[in-house]
Amino acid sequence: MGALLQKEFKTLWNSPWQLALVTYIPIISMLCLWWLFSAGLPRQLPVAVVDLDNSQLTRTLTRNLSANSVISPKTYPNLALAQEAMSTAEVYALVVYPHQFKHGLLTGSSPTIDIRYNSQFLLVGKLLSSQLQLSLGSGLMEVAGLKQLLGGANKASVAVNLSPVTSQTTALFNRNNNYVGFLVPPVLIALLQLLSMMVFVNALNASLLKGEVKCLLPDNFWQLVATKVMLYTPIMLLHGGFILAWLYGYLGLPIAGSLGLLVLTQVMMLAALWLLVILVVVIMREPAGSVSMGSAMFAPAFAFMGITFPVNDMPQLAQWWRLLMPSSHYMDTHVIVVSYGAEAGQVLLQSSSFLYFLVLLPISWLLVKIILQKQASVKSSKPLTVASQQQEAR
Amino acid sequence: MNWLQLFVADFKALLSDKDIVLTVFGGLLFYSVLYPLPYLHQVPTEQKIVVVDHDNSSLSRQLVRHADASSKIKIVSQVASINEAQQWISNGDAFGLLVIPEGFRRNLLLGKGATLSYGGDASYFLIYSAVAEGLVAAGMDASKQVQMIGLLARGENPQQIQKDLNSVNLNSVPAFNPSLGYTPYVVPGLFLLILHQTLLIGASILGAGQWRKQGYWQQVSPLALITARIAVFSLIYSFFSCFYLGYCYYFYNVSVQATLGQVLLFMVPFILSTAACGVALSCLFVRRDLPTQVLLLVSMPILFVSGFVWPVALIPEPLVQAAQVIPAVPAIMGMLQLNQMGASWEAVLPLWLQMWGLFLLFSLLAYIGVKRRLFSDT
Repeated sequence: MGALLQKEFKTLWNSPWQLALVTYIPIISMLCLWWLFSAGLPRQLPVAVVDLDNSQLTRTLTRNLSANSVISPKTYPNLALAQEAMSTAEVYALVVYPHQFKHGLLTGSSPTIDIRYNSQFLLVGKLLSSQLQLSLGSGLMEVAGLKQLLGGANKASVAVNLSPVTSQTTALFNRNNNYVGFLVPPVLIALLQLLSMMVFVNALNASLLKGEVKCLLPDNFWQLVATKVMLYTPIMLLHGGFILAWLYGYLGLPIAGSLGLLVLTQVMMLAALWLLVILVVVIMREPAGSVSMGSAMFAPAFAFMGITFPVNDMPQLAQWWRLLMPSSHYMDTHVIVVSYGAEAGQVLLQSSSFLYFLVLLPISWLLVKIILQKQASVKSSKPLTVASQQQEAR
Repeated sequence: MNWLQLFVADFKALLSDKDIVLTVFGGLLFYSVLYPLPYLHQVPTEQKIVVVDHDNSSLSRQLVRHADASSKIKIVSQVASINEAQQWISNGDAFGLLVIPEGFRRNLLLGKGATLSYGGDASYFLIYSAVAEGLVAAGMDASKQVQMIGLLARGENPQQIQKDLNSVNLNSVPAFNPSLGYTPYVVPGLFLLILHQTLLIGASILGAGQWRKQGYWQQVSPLALITARIAVFSLIYSFFSCFYLGYCYYFYNVSVQATLGQVLLFMVPFILSTAACGVALSCLFVRRDLPTQVLLLVSMPILFVSGFVWPVALIPEPLVQAAQVIPAVPAIMGMLQLNQMGASWEAVLPLWLQMWGLFLLFSLLAYIGVKRRLFSDT
């Protein structure tokens, strides 16, 4: 075993791509993805304001808008220009104060302020819609009070009128609704899964032997698999640990449970992934083919995790497909540990869903056995050469 | 070998390569189903929440009924305390809670005002926003009710009250994606990216498999080879673009605002520049299992940097600038503006020209790369 491990290590050392995949590529790509989202909170999003009234009141309302950290109002002289800016994504929403707005308000004719938000950008659009309504609403409050007093209402009823029910909305578990806390962990886990898949496919491909049509499995296949598991599990776990350390250590995102439990779950995720990869490689027995099949499976992992779109609202087929991906199982546990501070017992219960992947082991075992028997019966006289490890890319 | 023969030979080489056929033809069909699959039901509805009603009055019960009637939320239980509600949420049985304080109705009628507390599990973005929207709407409803009761009690006349309560209408309406559906939000950009990435992978695998071997590609000039190859891939991807932008948009209910002519005109430089980029990239590879890996790794960053998932305004400037050389980035932004948001052709013209610029750039790089591969590796 020791000799095999040494040989495996040497193979890794001599393969620049594989070496890059286990060292700097994960770190660079993780930092890049985090950097993309590092703004965390959407702030100062441009909003077009078309003021057809141009009264003191509408200017006050616009000032109210700029006081909101999410909104950055930009004034446009007419509607056409504002619409143009909206359709080229220069602004994400549009507010129109109608002509004679103040007049209408004071004479009691209920004027309308039009708000259009860009829902093609769902995330920004929804956010702006609620923030604009909130800002304008509070700005109008004062005016409404004034108007009622003018209308002869007594002071007590004005107070009731204005805001009888105040509401306080709290984001549980992700203070401030920070997008780093909510988007970055699943994105990075999806990336870790992709990288681990590639690393393990490459490692397995490296020990296939060159055959006539497809590659051949070596006789000591399982022994080699065990060596690779021993070598690559800790390496990829290190990168998984890096994600956790970066997010919850360095960036200080809130975490309620213990990081140790997450590391443990990552081990299970990797184990499940290895089982899947072994099956793929045994079936394909062709380097480029295995990579393609692995990619096809794991590339959309992020969409299926249920973080951006709730699992319960997915069609049944999608709910089944998501179970094929170890990352979805991991993310379920990740959320209960990070948000709810789940204890070991709860985590183990949740992680038991990984056990389904064990079914793959006997299947692969049987397949390998059949293939090896076939290979033995096809007596090839030619000496076998190691197939993969083709020349490296320059 | 004349150019037409070369074109046919290249086409045959592509079709006889199992991995390319799997990636390009199989992949495109598979992804057109798989990627939108989770979002088919479009809008998250009926998110489960629990209620802690400390008031237990007629008004609080009405509030709860109103909340339950909202399509966004479903009240699964009334619990006695906030701790118990937390338990429900931790167990994953609910995603939010509504707390009605003691004396809610009495305080309101006395004109003292009251505070409702809502909480949503913000670990899940859409669930949180659905819960918040549903509860805020219910709260506003209740608030109107109370105002009405309070004002009536003070002897105001009902008509005046109606006016007072709705002194200004805030008419907030979504533009461009009226159903607020998730598929029309994700699909247009994502599909262009899939076309882009599979084309790059296909072209790269084809090149990687050829460079160090003997074949028709060595009997022709680099210029002939790259033009033929760009033509082959462009032809295939014209058909796939029609499938993606035509049938799939229709199937997934993606709104379409541009004319057919504009879309076609816009797609031309996108396909050409991507094909040229693919040929240029192929010169970097000699191992056939590498292109898929490299291009897969950059897919996610390209998806996010193209600015439809996460606003461009919030992405660090250097990343946005660097991404401008990726054909998919101007293509996605331009296509969204043109086809989903109804921008005029003049508005997307700069992006269109940018793609033509990229086509020239990558053609030049492809020429240099192919020349080096053909003459140094023989």
